[in-house]
Amino acid sequence: MKRLQLSAITLSFGGLDVLTDVSMTIEPGIIASIIGPNGAGKTSILNCISGFYHPQKGDIYFGKQKLTKASPHQVSTLGIARAFQNIELFSGMTVLDNLLLARHQNLNYNFFQAVAFWGKASRQEALNRAYVEYIIDFMELEPYRKQTVASLSYGIQKRIEMARALTLGPDLLLLDEPMAGMNIQEKEDIVRFIIDIQHERQITVVLVEHDLGVVMDISDQIFVLDFGELIFSGKPEQIANNPKVLEAYIGQE
Amino acid sequence: MSVNRWLATGNFYESYKQEQRIFSTHCERAVFIVFIVALFLWPLLIKTSNTALLVLDEIMIAIIAIIGLNLVTGFAGLISIGHAAFVGIGAYTLAATSRVLGDQHVLLTHAWPLMIFLSGTAGAVFGAFVGLPAIRLKHLYLAIATLSFQMIFQWTINFMSFFNQGQTIPIARVYCFTGMVSRKDHYLFWYYTILIIVVVCGFCVRNLLRTRYGRCLVAVRDNDRAADAMGMHPGLTKVYAFSLSGFFAGIAGALHAYLYRGAGLDSFTLHHSITYLAMAIVGGLGTLAGSFFGPTAIKALDLQVEQLSEWTSVFLPAAMNLATALKPLAFGLVIVLFLIFEPRGIANWWRIIKSYIKLWPFKY
Repeated sequence: MKRLQLSAITLSFGGLDVLTDVSMTIEPGIIASIIGPNGAGKTSILNCISGFYHPQKGDIYFGKQKLTKASPHQVSTLGIARAFQNIELFSGMTVLDNLLLARHQNLNYNFFQAVAFWGKASRQEALNRAYVEYIIDFMELEPYRKQTVASLSYGIQKRIEMARALTLGPDLLLLDEPMAGMNIQEKEDIVRFIIDIQHERQITVVLVEHDLGVVMDISDQIFVLDFGELIFSGKPEQIANNPKVLEAYIGQE
Repeated sequence: MSVNRWLATGNFYESYKQEQRIFSTHCERAVFIVFIVALFLWPLLIKTSNTALLVLDEIMIAIIAIIGLNLVTGFAGLISIGHAAFVGIGAYTLAATSRVLGDQHVLLTHAWPLMIFLSGTAGAVFGAFVGLPAIRLKHLYLAIATLSFQMIFQWTINFMSFFNQGQTIPIARVYCFTGMVSRKDHYLFWYYTILIIVVVCGFCVRNLLRTRYGRCLVAVRDNDRAADAMGMHPGLTKVYAFSLSGFFAGIAGALHAYLYRGAGLDSFTLHHSITYLAMAIVGGLGTLAGSFFGPTAIKALDLQVEQLSEWTSVFLPAAMNLATALKPLAFGLVIVLFLIFEPRGIANWWRIIKSYIKLWPFKY
């Protein structure tokens, strides 16, 4: 199990400081949540971890691996998977193909075996198909297996997004607002999935979420960001009385 | 429970390997095999003129080129306006060999399968090179980069005395097991050769599309940000798409040069690039079946309209000018109509017909 460590990360676009000196340590196997008002830099942190942004200062370590300058496809091979906030699925493909794409790195046959679809290629495809089926079962996506993603509803698409990240077989899962725009029942489903992911598969989950009720209920650790600065980190019980957090969320008297 | 593999009913899959099959039932496979065998046998049974065979050869060469174009434009979503130039690269690989070694050299006349493969490889190398801007450019800007390749290709050939300034460079007749292919058998010989290549290419691409090497193309088309997060380098995947497309174009070009026994610039102009794009659109972008329907439909349309305009000019000499304009008019009209009414191309009709037959006599 690897620990995720961000040490004094600073990210800015031109004159705009998005993150200033953010340090956090996420222990393996926990559910950690990052909360904060809009524009606080929550998604930017996920983008830094998953390699879409590269911070100007500071370092990111996953276990002993340095991620600071890694590109997204390198990060994904190190065991970090990401579900996006705005659905970023391959909309023209079936659910099955979407998930099989996440097995891209694990399908190790060469081009000529693929052209002939002989031996290893066929075997590997079947093997990884079985893995995909396991995830489909886990995320309860069986009815949609062969449907085109674009034809499915928003809630299902969000779930596929999570399933695809899981199919990468990660040690660390980054979820960017998995419950945005969902009703109570769908939220409960997603929460159940997140807890299952942590319990059954021992995957560390980093959650960015606006629903404070959910965050307080399931998180082991909470980080609060405001204007790119980390203003609080600790257990959910401690958060309600923290004056800085109250100021960021409710405002000053 | 017994499994019936002949019909869709009662045809259960028992392993994921079984589900990988191209033909889900024996009936489908049998129909396909009969169709292929018929394609091979009919010239032996029916006497065909060389003109008709030439048209068929042309169609099949276009099919190979369109398979390539469909991979890059249909599946990977990168518009290529320079496809004729890639085809030209294939033809001019032969031409260059003929210029350097002489047109009766054994490489050209006897080792022609090797030369066809080499032309494909040359196409793939140029494809990868032209695809390099795809690492940074997207959409229309990338299309312009491919357009510039078309222009550079035309200018280079046009002004190099090595390439005869675009005039036809002759290529010799080939030899096969029975000796030199005679003038009489030329078109029939190439009919069979091209047919074999089309079938092989079709199967290769069909296989490719059900593996990671095909899926990654569609991934960068649909969402290259997510493709990046799934562990593939989107830029390199696009370069690979161009190179793959260049390979098929190169093969098509070599076949074209062998069929016409020469390579000349006027078969690889911008006009041809646009025609290739039209074929891909009419056939159906992003479908393998579309690569077969598109060229067939466009070439058939060409022939029909040509006949119509000849007929008009005989009966109505006054409308002669209009009649000559009929061909480009019909071509443009077909593209526009397809874009408006059936953007998914003829391949979509094929899909609808298949599901209709499957469900008959029920509606759904």
